Amino acid sequence: MGEVLRVENLWKSYGRHEVLRGITFSINEGETKVIIGPSGTGKSTLLRCINLLVRPDKGKIFLDGEEITRPGVDEASVRARIGFVFQHFNLFLHLTALENVMLGLTKVRGLPREEAERIAKEALLSVGISEDLWRKYPAQLSGGQKQRVAIARAIAMNPRLILFDEPTSALDPELIGEVLKVMEKLAREGMTMLVVTHEIGFAMKVADEVMFMDEGRIVERGPPEEVILRPKHERTRRFLSRIWELYDLGVQR
Amino acid sequence: MIGDITYIIEEYWPLLLEGLKNTLIITAVSYAIGVALGLALALIRVYGPRPAAAAVTAYVEAIRGTPMLVQLFIIYYSLPAFGIVLDPLTAAIAAIGLNSGAYQAEYFRGAISAIPRGQWEAALSIGLRKWQAVRHVIIPQTWRVALPAMTNELIYLLKYSSIAYFVTVPELVFMGKYIGSKTYMYIQVYTIIAMIYVALALIASEGMARLEKKLSIPGISVTTPRQ
Repeated sequence: MGEVLRVENLWKSYGRHEVLRGITFSINEGETKVIIGPSGTGKSTLLRCINLLVRPDKGKIFLDGEEITRPGVDEASVRARIGFVFQHFNLFLHLTALENVMLGLTKVRGLPREEAERIAKEALLSVGISEDLWRKYPAQLSGGQKQRVAIARAIAMNPRLILFDEPTSALDPELIGEVLKVMEKLAREGMTMLVVTHEIGFAMKVADEVMFMDEGRIVERGPPEEVILRPKHERTRRFLSRIWELYDLGVQR
Repeated sequence: MIGDITYIIEEYWPLLLEGLKNTLIITAVSYAIGVALGLALALIRVYGPRPAAAAVTAYVEAIRGTPMLVQLFIIYYSLPAFGIVLDPLTAAIAAIGLNSGAYQAEYFRGAISAIPRGQWEAALSIGLRKWQAVRHVIIPQTWRVALPAMTNELIYLLKYSSIAYFVTVPELVFMGKYIGSKTYMYIQVYTIIAMIYVALALIASEGMARLEKKLSIPGISVTTPRQ
């Protein structure tokens, strides 16, 4: 199993505020890694750096052994190899579900329409978006459907890696399950994934490693059952106890 | 009065028709120039390098800060000093088109900034290059947001096309004045001219409303539904 992504000593600050302070980790092919942590600790910034939407101040990122943070890198072709699923879906508002998935295939991969359509339909079916929804515009879809279309848009490009930035945080509670189910299936099918989420149930089920981030650093990392059930670090414990509180209130009573 | 109006129409319809033709040409061509120029300027202002964006801002402010008639006179009377001689119709079209471009740049800029930031990020994230993101994601949404303002602009231009009169283009107002001087029935003539403008404005607004409806996509268009 080869290494797909390696992040080495990544630093980023906005003004005097240091958002990332020396992040280092790697992901092998087929692995799912989950990042948890309080908001404002640089998790989103980290994903944006990997996708080259944000330039880090220091440090290197490698995709399949190629340094993508070097100057003069072809950003578009790097991004085409990395899927990105946003918290607020960001489906193209003027395109139907099907066209959303097709755009990258025709304009980036340069595929003929018919082939793009075939791949797009396959991707939509794989996330449970059936034919009656293909011609709908984003505004006509539920949050869960939108996010699944967004996942289909990412997987249709056959990326090396998919980044998920809190993919269920903007969803109504009853819609979270359908999105997590799709993500679990993806993980089991061997997609390489880096997921920022508060869904510790998801992390328990599919993560190969959980990383707890706080104040720009990875404070603790390890198998989910260790980090989530037996956290060593005080800050991890405090964060998780708050998450558990929510679970208790929401699920049991 | 009605009799006078019928008389004028019967006697002078070829002149009125010629005037109408010129009014339509000025309006249509300068509008097309305005749309193309406006979109290009807006894109430069939003996505272009800083000096280019600053130049666009200066252009927009200069145009908006001076009367259109002055702009027309500069083009028609001052450019020949630099060896550029334009016939009246071309000068009028150029002046109105360049003017409209500045205003439309502002409409389009507003429309672009109304597009959620996430659209741009999503476009880049699937691997589109910047110009592709502009072309396939930003521009199709810009049209739809800007259409109501574009409708207003078309109707403005229809009426502003009359300033071509000042450089002797025989458009509607010019013909009105001419027919008036022949018949001394100024009120009747200008009533006819006014009715033609109203009819054209109604046609324009109805046409644009249909276009809006045709292009409308749930969740994008910001138009208030027409009753």
